[in-house]
Amino acid sequence: MRKKSTIFVAAVTLVMLLAGCGAAENRQAEAGKPGQELVYATVKDINDMNPHLYPGSMPAQGMVYESLVENTADGIQPLLAESWEISPDGTVYTFHLRQGVTFHDGEAFNAEAVKQNIDAVQHNSAKHTWIRLSSKIKGTKVTGEHTFKLILSEPYYPALLELSMTRPYVFLSPKDFQNGETKDGVKGYHGTGPYRLTEHLTDQSAVFEANAKYWNGTPFISKITVKVLPTGETTFLALQKGEVNFVFTDDRGTDSIDTEAMDRLAESGAYQVVRSEPMNTKMIVANSGKADSPVQDKAVREAVWHAIDRDTIASQIFSGKETPAGTLFSSNVNYADIGLKPRAYDLQKAERLLEEAGWTRSGEETRMKEGKPLTMTLFYDAASLSQKTEAELIQNTVKGIGMKLELLGEDSSSIASRRAAGDYDLLFNQTWGLAYDPQSTVSAFTSETAYYHAIKGISRAEQLKDEIEEVMVTTDEEKRKALYADILTTVHEEAIFIPLTNGNLTVVAPGNLQGIGFKQTQFELPFERMSFK
Amino acid sequence: MNGYIIKRTLLAAPLLIIISFLTFALNHLSPLNPAEVVLRAQGVPQITQALIAETEAALGMDRPFLIRYADWLASCLRLDFGDSYITGTPVWSLLGPALLNTLKLTMVSVIAILALSVGLGILCALKEGRLLDRSVRGVSFFLTSMPSAWLAAMMIWYFSVKLDWLPTSGMDSSAGYILPVTVLTVSYAGIYFRIIRSSMLSQLYEDYTLYARACGLPERKITLRMLKNSMQVAVSVFCMAVPVILGSTVVVESIFAWPGLGALTVNSILGRDFPVIQAYVLVLAASFVVFNTLSDLINAALNPRLRKEF
Repeated sequence: MRKKSTIFVAAVTLVMLLAGCGAAENRQAEAGKPGQELVYATVKDINDMNPHLYPGSMPAQGMVYESLVENTADGIQPLLAESWEISPDGTVYTFHLRQGVTFHDGEAFNAEAVKQNIDAVQHNSAKHTWIRLSSKIKGTKVTGEHTFKLILSEPYYPALLELSMTRPYVFLSPKDFQNGETKDGVKGYHGTGPYRLTEHLTDQSAVFEANAKYWNGTPFISKITVKVLPTGETTFLALQKGEVNFVFTDDRGTDSIDTEAMDRLAESGAYQVVRSEPMNTKMIVANSGKADSPVQDKAVREAVWHAIDRDTIASQIFSGKETPAGTLFSSNVNYADIGLKPRAYDLQKAERLLEEAGWTRSGEETRMKEGKPLTMTLFYDAASLSQKTEAELIQNTVKGIGMKLELLGEDSSSIASRRAAGDYDLLFNQTWGLAYDPQSTVSAFTSETAYYHAIKGISRAEQLKDEIEEVMVTTDEEKRKALYADILTTVHEEAIFIPLTNGNLTVVAPGNLQGIGFKQTQFELPFERMSFK
Repeated sequence: MNGYIIKRTLLAAPLLIIISFLTFALNHLSPLNPAEVVLRAQGVPQITQALIAETEAALGMDRPFLIRYADWLASCLRLDFGDSYITGTPVWSLLGPALLNTLKLTMVSVIAILALSVGLGILCALKEGRLLDRSVRGVSFFLTSMPSAWLAAMMIWYFSVKLDWLPTSGMDSSAGYILPVTVLTVSYAGIYFRIIRSSMLSQLYEDYTLYARACGLPERKITLRMLKNSMQVAVSVFCMAVPVILGSTVVVESIFAWPGLGALTVNSILGRDFPVIQAYVLVLAASFVVFNTLSDLINAALNPRLRKEF
C-alpha cells in the first residue's frame, strides 16, 4: 500500500514539475514583452500578402502597403501622391508623388515604381473586373522622377476612390516582382506602409514591426503580432490571460468573440470596446426576374419588407451589435442621404398589400392567386448562424400573413452561383461597404454575375441600366447626385433590396490604448495612429 | 515470415489505388465548376466567364477525367499533390508541416495513452473486482464521457488563466503540449484501457495459465507470460490509435490553435481548396493502411499461428 502511494506522489510531483517548467517559460515570454505592442487574434492566416491578388488578409495588407490617395470621411486626401490634377476632359490624371519615400527594402518610391505596379495590375486585368477602373485605364506614363500620368479611355468619376482601395492599386517594391510581373507570385512583401512584415509562420503567427523610415513618422506601437486563433472560447481566454490584447471584426465580417464576451472584457476594466459607424447593409435580395415566381410581384416584395421585424433581429439575433436598416444604404454613404421612406414592420399593411394584389386566402392557409400558392424559397449561407436564425424568424412571421417561405442553407459559393444564374426567389446578401458604395453595389445591379436577374423584372430595368452607365462617367457632380437619387429611389420603390440591419466593425483593445479609429476602406485599421497612454 | 510481409504489403497497394480514385472522383462530383471554385477560393471579387475559361485551361480542367486522374496519381507518388487553390503554393508545403505538427501531438498522446492504458489495464486485471479496479473503471468512464471541447476549455481556464501555469494555446513552447496531450489522453485512454484489461482477463482463465499455476510457476512469471500474449491487442490498439487520433484531432487542434492537419483541413473545406482536401484524405487513408499492415506484421511476428492462417 505504501509503495502505491509513493508511486502516486511521485507521479503527481512529476506532473506539477512539468507544469511548473512551462509556467516559468511562459512568464519569461510575458516579461520580455514591452508595453508598446499589440497582439491581435484572427481566425485566418494572413496568407499570400501579394497586394495585387486577393487571398491575403486585408488588415495585414493595410499595414504594409499604401495607395496614391486615401479615402477619408472628408473625401479623397493625399497619401503617396501629394497632389494631382485632372485634365478638363476627365481622362488624364497627373499625380505629383511624395518625395523621399522608400520601400521597406530600401528601393526608392518614384514614378517608375508606380508605373510598374499599375502595369503589373493591368496585365492581370481579368481578375480585377470588379473594380471598373481596371477596364478604363488606357495607359501609364512617367513624366518626371516624381510625376506620373494615368490615362483613361473615358472619364470615370470613381477613379480616385478606386485608386484608394486596399487592393489592387497599391505599391510593392519592383525588386519583389517576378519577371516584371506580380500575377504569378512575388519574391517579397515590401511596401511603403507604416509596418514591415518581419516574420510569418503559416497558420500560426505573423509579426509586423514599425517602419522606422516611414515618411509620416515612426508609428508609436513598435510591434504588431498576428496570432491565428479560433473564434470563441480560446480567443476569449487568451484575451483574459493577456496572450492577445486586441481583436476586431475580420474581413469576412466575423467577430472573434461574441457580444457577451466583449461586455465581460469591458467590465473587467482591462479592455475597451469601440464600434464604428454603419459600414454596410445586410439585406435580402428579391429576384424580380424569376419567371413564374410570386417574387415577380412588387406587392409580394413589399409585403416581405413590411413583415420583417428588424428591431427584434438587431436586438435579439445580433444582441444590439447591429442596428435596424431602413434603406439599402445608410445615410452616411455618399449620395445616399436622399430621404427615402423606410417601410416599417407592419403586418396589417403587408396583408393589405397582398389582398389588393389579388393574393387571397381562406382561413389560415397559404394565399393563392390564379391557382398559384404564395410560396417562395429563401436561400441563406449555411455557415452563417445569424442568417439561419433570421430566416427562421422571417419564415415564422410571414406564415401569419399567408406566405409560405421555404428555407435552404447552402455554402457561399453555391449562393453566389445562384445569384449569377438568377436561380432563386430570395437570398441573403450584403452591400460592398462604405468605401465602395454606392458605386460598387450600384455597378453590381447590372453585372451578370451579381444582381442583373434581380433587377431584370422591373419595368424600368432598361432605363436603370442606362442611368447606371451614365452615373459612372458623368463629370457633373449635380447630375451625378440626381442620377444616384433616381437609381436608389427606383430600387427602393420596387423593393428589390430588402434591408435588414446595418453592420459595423468592433474593436476590443486594451483600456489604455488611444487613437482607435476606423478607415473608410472598412477592414483595415489605422494602427499607425494608435498609441498607449 | 518474408513471404507474409510481401503478401501483406502487396494487398495494401490496390487498396490505396481504390482510395485514391474515390478521393479524386468524390471531389469532382461537386456540382460546382472547379475553375469557379478556384477563383472564389482566391477571393477574386468578380468572376467573369472569360476568367473561368482562362482558369479552366490553366488548370487543365478541359482534359478527360481519367487522364487527369492518372496525372494526379503519378504526381502524388512523387509527393506532388498539386497547388493549393487558395495560396497557389504546392499542397505539400502546406500539408507537410501541418502533418508533422499533428504527428508530434499524436505521437506524444499515443505514448501517454499507451502507458496509461497498458499500466492501468494490467493493474485492474490483476485486481479484478477490487476497489482499485472499480474506482479506476468508474473514473475512466466519467472522464471518457466528457466532451473534449468542454474539457479543453475548462482546462485552459483553470491551468492557463486562473493558475497562469501554461499557455492557453499554440505550440511555441514544450509547455504548449501539456494541455492538448492531456485532453487527448483523457478522451482515449479510457477506451483503450478497457480493451487491454479485458484482454488480460481473458488470459487469466486460459488453460496455459491454469497449467502454469498447477506446475507451481511463480506468479511473476505467469503474469509476464500473460502480458506477452495480451501484447497482441496492445499492438493493434497502438497501431490503430495513431491514424484514428491523426484524423480526429480537429476539435482539440482548433481549440488549442494547434497548426496541424485539423486546422488546415477545416480551412480547406470551408475554402473549397480541393487539392488540399484530396491530399489530406489520401494521406490519412494511407496512414490507416500503413499502420494496419504494420500491426498485422508485428502480430504475426508475435504469434506464428497468424502467419499460417494467411
